[in-house]
Amino acid sequence: MTATIRTAEERESAGLGTDLVLRASDVSVEYAGARPTRAVREVSLELRRGEVLGIVGESGCGKSTLAFALTRMLRPPARLTGGVIEYYGRDGEVTDLAALEGERLREFRWGRVSMVFQSAMNALNPVTTVGSQIEDIFRAHRPQMGRAERRSRAGKLLEMVGIDPRRVRSFPHELSGGMRQRVVIAMALALEPEIVVMDEPTTALDVLVQREILDEIEALRVELGFAVIFITHDLALLMEISDRLAVMYAGRVVEYAPAEQVATAPLHPYTRGLLRSFPDLRGERRDLRGIPGSPPDLRNALTGCPFAPRCESVFETCHEVSPELKAPAGGWPVACHLHDPQYARTGIDAGPGTDADTDSGDKA
Amino acid sequence: MSALTVTDLTVDYRQRGGARLRAVDGLSFSLEPGQTLALVGESGSGKSTVVRTLSRFVKPSSGRIALSGVDGARGRSARKAYHKTLQLVFQDPFASLNPMHTVGHHLRRPLLLHGGLRRGAKLDAAVLELLRSVNLTPAEDVASKHPHELSGGQRQRVAIARALATDPKVLLADEPVSMLDVSIRLEILNLLDRLKRDRDLALLYVTHDLATARHFSSQIMVMYRGEVVERGPSDRVILNPAHPYTQMLASAAPDPTQTRAQAAEARRARAERRDTRVAEHRESALDQGCRFRARCPFAMEVCATRPPDLPAERKGEGAWNGAGAADGAAHVARCWLLGEPAAAAPAASSSD
Repeated sequence: MTATIRTAEERESAGLGTDLVLRASDVSVEYAGARPTRAVREVSLELRRGEVLGIVGESGCGKSTLAFALTRMLRPPARLTGGVIEYYGRDGEVTDLAALEGERLREFRWGRVSMVFQSAMNALNPVTTVGSQIEDIFRAHRPQMGRAERRSRAGKLLEMVGIDPRRVRSFPHELSGGMRQRVVIAMALALEPEIVVMDEPTTALDVLVQREILDEIEALRVELGFAVIFITHDLALLMEISDRLAVMYAGRVVEYAPAEQVATAPLHPYTRGLLRSFPDLRGERRDLRGIPGSPPDLRNALTGCPFAPRCESVFETCHEVSPELKAPAGGWPVACHLHDPQYARTGIDAGPGTDADTDSGDKA
Repeated sequence: MSALTVTDLTVDYRQRGGARLRAVDGLSFSLEPGQTLALVGESGSGKSTVVRTLSRFVKPSSGRIALSGVDGARGRSARKAYHKTLQLVFQDPFASLNPMHTVGHHLRRPLLLHGGLRRGAKLDAAVLELLRSVNLTPAEDVASKHPHELSGGQRQRVAIARALATDPKVLLADEPVSMLDVSIRLEILNLLDRLKRDRDLALLYVTHDLATARHFSSQIMVMYRGEVVERGPSDRVILNPAHPYTQMLASAAPDPTQTRAQAAEARRARAERRDTRVAEHRESALDQGCRFRARCPFAMEVCATRPPDLPAERKGEGAWNGAGAADGAAHVARCWLLGEPAAAAPAASSSD
């Protein structure tokens, strides 16, 4: 939605702040196949220096694919089919990520943007010590660094994430799940990147360990000043830790808003549905329902709003016209006709739906 | 009468070198028809071992499991009767259905084995009836499909229908929604809730999610390293947790109503309470004393010297024994802080 804003003044007047570190404009990703899967469709996002941007959506909505695209880690059959991803260095230099190749790409990956993968169990090599895996990063990216310095840096990194530095000699299976996740975070921070992409970093962990890891990430972020793209399906968690969040559905961003506003006044019916899907731990007991139905097949061409078949506030236009991500007056960007004065009619309820069917089945 | 009564259940796993790991230690509880009991705990707490033992996949070292007051006997026919009465919904609907067989096949098997039906129109009608009862419509279409043609939520509905095929009295649901997308979790839990009421099922809901445990069950049992540390009516366990472990669990859950300033404040408080950043110090194993004491913010000397007893949360509110636990009203916790009036002062007041 901000793809057309080019100059710093324009950005400032749009209230976005000038200190961007990453900007994605109309990014599209396709998985090749007999019928290509359009997993990410014209997504535009901005990441400010040091902020936490949350990306939320159910499985298959394209959030991980988008993360791989932003870090230039897509592998065939996935392919970036359109859009521009720009990285803004501290010195004001602008880098077009899609054009990076060879040595410069290698330098960029992990040096500027690193990633914490979903499953620490699979991200670590089971047959070498965690210390040597951390040292590998320096071996690859800082070849001039001596062996002794590599060793001490590896120990310091472990210490930074709350692990005894002597653990450099441990193998992954000797560490608990939470500690392995800490090791993976230490590895992501090894080269002091500007951006760390975290793809469901706490999903496989218990609540208490999850809480510890989140606290650790936040403490490190304050200390080191990197920006975080945090990907998860857990909207409740995301609202607590992120500055802004992007809600994705069927490969598109459907709502892009300050996190606190989403908690109190979500605009898109899908966001409302997601919010409703998490019962409140301490709140009033209420009728609990999720979002009936399932997301569309991304191999098909989508006409109209992709959420229309599951939407409780659907009206005729939704089936015909695809909504664009744009901000209503005084609001934040949302892709929904309910908030578009061109379509929204008087009498259409933009608030939560009221149908009482709490157990509508999956129609096959 | 209780649909399922478990008395003093202890399960040991044999480890390499002959050592034994006590996965479940002296567990007693009962399930009532038409009621849901939530079993909450982190991984390694023994909650899955409880489910496996109740399903007779694992042999207990000691203890009794009785269905409707009758002890589970040995032998083939007794085993069959047991499995007709007690059924299980697994965590992963992607793994619990055979990809080679149709949905209809999955549902015909238990009907043939336990339902006393023979192949024919009656059997087919029973399959369709089961599918309709879990809201999989049109049932005729679904019955002829293979698991890969269904979404995760639909597969879990098939798994639930399969469990209901034997017309069980007790249903064990082991993390039934943790593999499903957030948007459909509540649909599945609502379905289980409705079936529980319609069929007067005794439901054991095993989960690590406190919020759904509170909303879908009348009682909650919190397990830590093989022991139940707290048990009571759902609202009281969650809103007014007595055991420090339950307090920690409840305060660790993300709270969407919190503002970022409040979240930062809570984070600071946690950081202060944590005397060391070295994670492993809090994870050391223990043989005696309270198993939670290494992580407990209120650990005292008495916690190490002998295992804590099981006092009532407040004086005169039911004791931790078979009778007290079975009547469903007691809120009890296994903690020294509650038993010793002198030591109890710092506990309840600091449970933010």
